[in-house]
Amino acid sequence: MHIEKRKKLSFLKRIFLIELFKGLMVTLKNQFRPHTTVEYPKERLVLKERFRGVPRLRMHPETAEELCVACGNCAEACPDNCITVVAETRASGKGKQPKIFIIDYERCCLCGLCVDPCPTKPISAIYMSHDYELASYTREKFITEKDRLYSGHEKREYKK
Amino acid sequence: MFRTTEMVINMGPQHPSTHGVLRLLLRLDGETVVDSKPVIGYLHRGIEKLSESKTYVQITPLTDRLDYVASFSENLGYIGAVEKLLGIEVPPRANYIRVILAELQRIASHLVWLATHALDIGAMSVFLYCFREREEILDLFESFCGARLTYNAVRIGGLYQDLPEGWVEECRKFCELFPSRMKEYEDLLTINRIWLQRTIGIGVISAEDAINMGLSGPMLRGSGVKWDIRKAYPYATYRDFDFDVPIGKNGDTYDRYLIRLEEMRQSRRIILQALDHLPDGEIRAKVPRRIKPPKGEAYHSVEGPRGEMGFYLISDGSEKPYRVRFRSPNFVNLQSLPRLVEGHLVADIVAIIGTLDVVLGCVDR
Repeated sequence: MHIEKRKKLSFLKRIFLIELFKGLMVTLKNQFRPHTTVEYPKERLVLKERFRGVPRLRMHPETAEELCVACGNCAEACPDNCITVVAETRASGKGKQPKIFIIDYERCCLCGLCVDPCPTKPISAIYMSHDYELASYTREKFITEKDRLYSGHEKREYKK
Repeated sequence: MFRTTEMVINMGPQHPSTHGVLRLLLRLDGETVVDSKPVIGYLHRGIEKLSESKTYVQITPLTDRLDYVASFSENLGYIGAVEKLLGIEVPPRANYIRVILAELQRIASHLVWLATHALDIGAMSVFLYCFREREEILDLFESFCGARLTYNAVRIGGLYQDLPEGWVEECRKFCELFPSRMKEYEDLLTINRIWLQRTIGIGVISAEDAINMGLSGPMLRGSGVKWDIRKAYPYATYRDFDFDVPIGKNGDTYDRYLIRLEEMRQSRRIILQALDHLPDGEIRAKVPRRIKPPKGEAYHSVEGPRGEMGFYLISDGSEKPYRVRFRSPNFVNLQSLPRLVEGHLVADIVAIIGTLDVVLGCVDR
């Protein structure tokens, strides 16, 4: 399929600057369209349900027990080696639980590959949260230990 | 008495018109370019070598970061190569969704090209309008896989997740809105006399030269060569769809502009066809948990927005590939730059880099 022939401007169109006014009409029309700019951080967009922020851990929603069984599958799947898991036997019940669980957010590339192999069914223990504001003054703050993986970080609100 | 001497100057690597970190060594005679030499390597991350130390699944997030404007196409190409190695048949629903997303990605990528190309030449409002529309595509991607730039949504044997509820309607809504927005860009540029003067006859490359240099994508089709991987070696389910491959005649910047605009329309056509015939069923084939392809090699290429993106893998039977090589369209297209700019003015270099649609992340892997 050949693209259509080049448009040649006729003499009249050339004199009356038709193409210029056509372009001006477009910009004029856009003046009356609603604004698309979002004044972050004063206003924030509504995140989609599947939004991938940094990975976090979660408790069982009903029993409030630790879901993670410290199998280390997530650490193995991680392409950046940013997850460290050390297991210990559970105080109550069978199986294991994590003694140490560290995610180094400094290296995390938010790919979500750690969620795939998580064996806890039907809710996976590790999940991609909606946290995305992660700036910090020190690098140590990116090394996130178990407590903070469960609680997340507080969100700061800005007034309009 | 008055003599002019040739002067060597640098353009880039941080010049905004060089689209990232391209450095051009220019030899100028007054304002005319006598010779130029692109210098690359300011964004070298060694992804090919790095991939050899990772498993097949772990490479996928790396391919996102090759051509970060069209990361879905890169994903698709790489996963296609792994699937060839393993001999996996992908379920039809997954294939259809892959095609839809790949074509959405092509539109998004061409919108970035149109935006920055127009901005380089001096049209500011096109830039804003194009990014507004691209945002809607990114929203679609976000609701599908959760990311807006580096998707990592393709998995070996299919996709990670099915489409969310209401996604098809959202996508259809975008497709309905899009032609009217396309018309606005055309009103602003196609017959604009500044645009015509800045693009017609600039950066001409003949069909023969383009083939000899190994160019692909709109750069090749602008010179009148009908070559598209989607037609030549149909991957996914491109065989099922009815679409045209636009080709140009003169091989100049204006032709490539018209071709990319037409490609966006054709992509929309493919998306609508795929949405109409979207089959039900599984979205992921049965794949072993530990992926260990048999010994052998595979090459798979896809038609990315910039041209043929090829992935070559050699497997030695272990969990990690023995060798990984990528054929990037940006790298190959960039070598035509000295030929394109020769004899033009410095201001035209900016237009020519824009028409190459170069993404430096993919140039030096």
